Formats: sequence, C-alpha cells, structure tokens
Amino acid sequence: MMRVVILARRELLSLFVSPVAWTITFVFLLVMGVTFHLSLLAVDGDLKQLVAATYSGLVFWFMMLMLPPLISMRSVAEEKRSGSLEMLITTGISDTQVVVGKWLSTWCFFLFLWVCLLPLWSLLTTVGQVDWGVLMSAHLGVALIGAGFCASGILASTLTSHPLASAGLATAINLGLFLVHWLSFLYQPGDLQLRWVEHFSAVHHIRDELTRGIVDLRVIIWWSSFTFLMLFLSTKVLERRRW
Amino acid sequence: MIEVDSLSRSYGTRKALDSISFQVPTGSVTGFLGPNGAGKTTTLRVLTSWLLPDPGTLRVTVDGIDLLRQPQRACRRVGALLEMLPLPGELRVIEFLSARARLKGVPAAKVLSEVQRVLEEVDASEASRRIIDTLSQGYRQRIGLADALLGDPPVLLLDEPTRGLDPRQISLFRGLIDRLRGHHTIVLSSHVLGEVEQICDRVCMISAGKVCLDEDRKAWTQRLESAGTIRVELAETHPDVETQLSSIEGVREVRSDGDGWIVSADRDVCHLIGDLARQQNWVLSQLRTDPATLESLFLQLTGPGEAS
Repeated sequence: MMRVVILARRELLSLFVSPVAWTITFVFLLVMGVTFHLSLLAVDGDLKQLVAATYSGLVFWFMMLMLPPLISMRSVAEEKRSGSLEMLITTGISDTQVVVGKWLSTWCFFLFLWVCLLPLWSLLTTVGQVDWGVLMSAHLGVALIGAGFCASGILASTLTSHPLASAGLATAINLGLFLVHWLSFLYQPGDLQLRWVEHFSAVHHIRDELTRGIVDLRVIIWWSSFTFLMLFLSTKVLERRRW
Repeated sequence: MIEVDSLSRSYGTRKALDSISFQVPTGSVTGFLGPNGAGKTTTLRVLTSWLLPDPGTLRVTVDGIDLLRQPQRACRRVGALLEMLPLPGELRVIEFLSARARLKGVPAAKVLSEVQRVLEEVDASEASRRIIDTLSQGYRQRIGLADALLGDPPVLLLDEPTRGLDPRQISLFRGLIDRLRGHHTIVLSSHVLGEVEQICDRVCMISAGKVCLDEDRKAWTQRLESAGTIRVELAETHPDVETQLSSIEGVREVRSDGDGWIVSADRDVCHLIGDLARQQNWVLSQLRTDPATLESLFLQLTGPGEAS
C-alpha cells in the first residue's frame, strides 16, 4: 500500500510541475464557472434546483467523459513508449501496485478539479440556502463515476503506447457507458426487457438519483465493481508483457 | 550471487536465449559481453523481473532469492542501470531520486541522506537541485548510476554504465567499482572491451542466445596469452625460414604474409626464435609479440554471422 501512495505522489508531482495540470485546471474552472453562472440564471435563483441543473447538463457530461481520458492518457502509455515503465519495475514494485498507483493519482487530480468548485457553492450560502446534502451526494456520484472513468482511462493507457490513442479508446468506453442510457428509451410501455439498462447508466445514476439526494447502495457497488474490473484488466494487460 | 541454470526466453518463435547457464560469484565484477542481439538485454530483463523466462528454465536466483517464485523480493535486491535511461525530465534530481528511494524501500527518515550519499558516490552532488531536462548526457548517466546504488542493493546490473562519460568520469567510475568490489555482485554489460578487461574479475560472453565463454580473469588471461602471436621479419631473404620456425617446440602455426612471418605458439617462444636466428645467422629486423586482446577473443568467439 505504501508503494502505491509513494507512486501516486510522484505521479501527482510530475503532473503539477508541468503546465498540463494547471492548464486543465484553468480551463475546467473557467468552463464550469460559466456553466455555474448560466445554471444560476436558468433556475432563476432557486438554489435547490441549481445542483441538478449544474451536475446533469451537457457541459458537465462533457467534462466527465473527457477529463479522465485526458488525465490518464499518458500515465502508462507514455511510460511504455519511453521505457520508464521498465525502470519503475526495477524498484521491485508489482504490476498491480503500478496500476493502482497510476489510477490513484489520476483520480486524485480529477477529484481536485471538482473540489475546486466547492468555494463557489460556499459563496452562494451568503445569499441563499444551499442543500449541502444533495450537493454532497452529487459529488459522491462524480467521485464514483470519475473513479470508473479514470480506471477505464488506465486500461486504455495499458493497451497502447500512444497517449492520443489511449485517450480515444478511453473516451469510447466512457461514451458507451454514457450512451447506454438512451438504449433504455427503446423499451415500450409494458415491455420491461430493456429497463435493466438503467442500472448501468451513469446518466440515470446522476440525474435521477444522486442529484436528488438519493444514495443507492447499488450505485456504489456498480461503480466500485466497474472500477475494480477496469483495474484488474489493466493489471492483466500490463502483466502480458512479461510473457 | 547470481545463479542462472538453463535459462531460455523466446519472443514468439525466435529463441533469444537458448538454455544458458552461468554464475556470478558474490562480490565479483562480471563483464557481460556479446554482439548486438545476442541476448544480453533479455538476460538483464529477466534478472530485473521485467520478463519471465520460458517454461523449462530450471533456476534463476538473485542473492539467494528464487526469481521465478519471488520476483518482487528478488528485484528489491537488485540495482539496475538500464541502457535506455528514461528519466522524468520535468523533475529535479533530488525529487526523482527521493521518490525512487522511497519506492525501493528506503525509510522516509533516511531518504535525504541516502540520496546525498549516492550523489556523492557518482560525483554529482552539485546537480541535486537541477531539473533533469537541463542535464548533459554525462550527468544523466551519473544520475542513473546513482539511482542503481540507492538502498545499497547487493546486486548491481549495469548496462553500458560509462556511455556519455568523459575520461575523468570514467576514471571515477572505475574507482567506484573498485570500492564496491567485494561487497556487491556486479554485472557490467558493455561494448567497451578495454574497460571490461580492466575492471572485471570474470567475463561471460554470449552469442546467438548461448554462452560461449564464462571464465575468471586467470583463465581468460591464459587463453589470451596462448592466443597471442609473434611477428618475425628478417633483413635478408633466407630459404626454409617457415620450416625452421615450425620446428621450434611449442609453435603451433607459422604463416607468411609476404613481409614476414606470424608465429602462433602455446607459450612465449621469443627467446627460442632469437636463439634460432643466432644459429642460422639471420639478421632480425623485427621480433614483436602481438598479444591477443579481449577484442580479438570476442571476434573469434562470436564470429561474423553470430550477431544476427
């Protein structure tokens, strides 16, 4: 566990000493700040609806789908290309620790971005009442779905040596989980065959549950399992090079 | 100590290592030689757990730990300097080495002193605050070497360690190896054969995935002595010189190259050639010993077609 934390810390250090992390943070805060403002206008000052308006719009989903692949695309792919992965393995760290360490750093940076939005909400408490319970459950959703999307980004990164290809692949996986929601629209009234799809839908989890303050254990289990599966597959892909 | 018994490794259908066996005794410095593509890097990659050997490999142990059963534990006993040295250019030297020290299991309280120690060992203390991207090749190589020394591992695998170093740094590197000799088991892979000849106690040469020489200094020195030649040139022409030279005890072969004769012998026969010249009234214009070198041995054992 210690090695995982050390690796994650080193990854975060590498990220923050380069301009990439700061550029992503700046663009994210700018876009989300504007969205926040527009959402505030759209709900006509009703702060209770503001969480749902901010955390289920197109900009929100764009950020959710694009950020994890962008943050994770270099993590393993670049190291494979440059040969530094081999250097990392010579420290005696296991493949599982490498995968989990890389994922942890990616996820921490992803969470850092969303945590940066919290001061905006704090500011609103001076003019009205923010439902912190709903806000926290929405952030729990962001953290859970973000963990899964970051893990799929790591998987994509282990599958290729090209960061851009990795980002493309991860976006495709995430987009699949996003679009699966629209599949459930195909069912006819009385025909429940496709209703199960909702259980895997990120959109359904965020829009219909978490931004309404409903925390369903099934949602937590599904996204934790998905994250675990992605990390397990990533480890297996990484181990493949030894054969 | 490193023990390798029947190590094989294939890439698809191509056999990179074909059941090689060798030992590196504790505290020795072993030169690991071979032409490009012979399997040196593959062997080192197996020893660092980057690659798994093929089924059928009997044993690979590093410092007494079975690499096939406990790869991570064995790997922690190894400090490796890789041929391709991919350092994170955006970090400072001290940041990079501190993180590596922690990953190698150096306790947090001792990390800084350990980093300073290895930087002093490789004469790069002044670069500790510099960003890696701004370092010259020589400095980068020294940082790689410092990384290999972190945690004082008992086994060191050094792939082309003097690449990019200036003559002064190479001399310092030899001093470092001399200090480590006896306490560390060192495998030094290099194409600079003169360096290997100077530094190493043993030589392990592989070609086309097979070990073609595995000898200690005494054995390979004897081999080189017996493989040496003597060049004989006379001021005037004389008949039957080749026959006369061949009759000397210990001479294996006499060849003429037009200007003189090249004598191969099992031992030093210079004084016998001198005696023969006096008896035959030959005026010697040249009598020179051309000792065999590791390079000539390398070329002889690996052959022109072996590299592929």
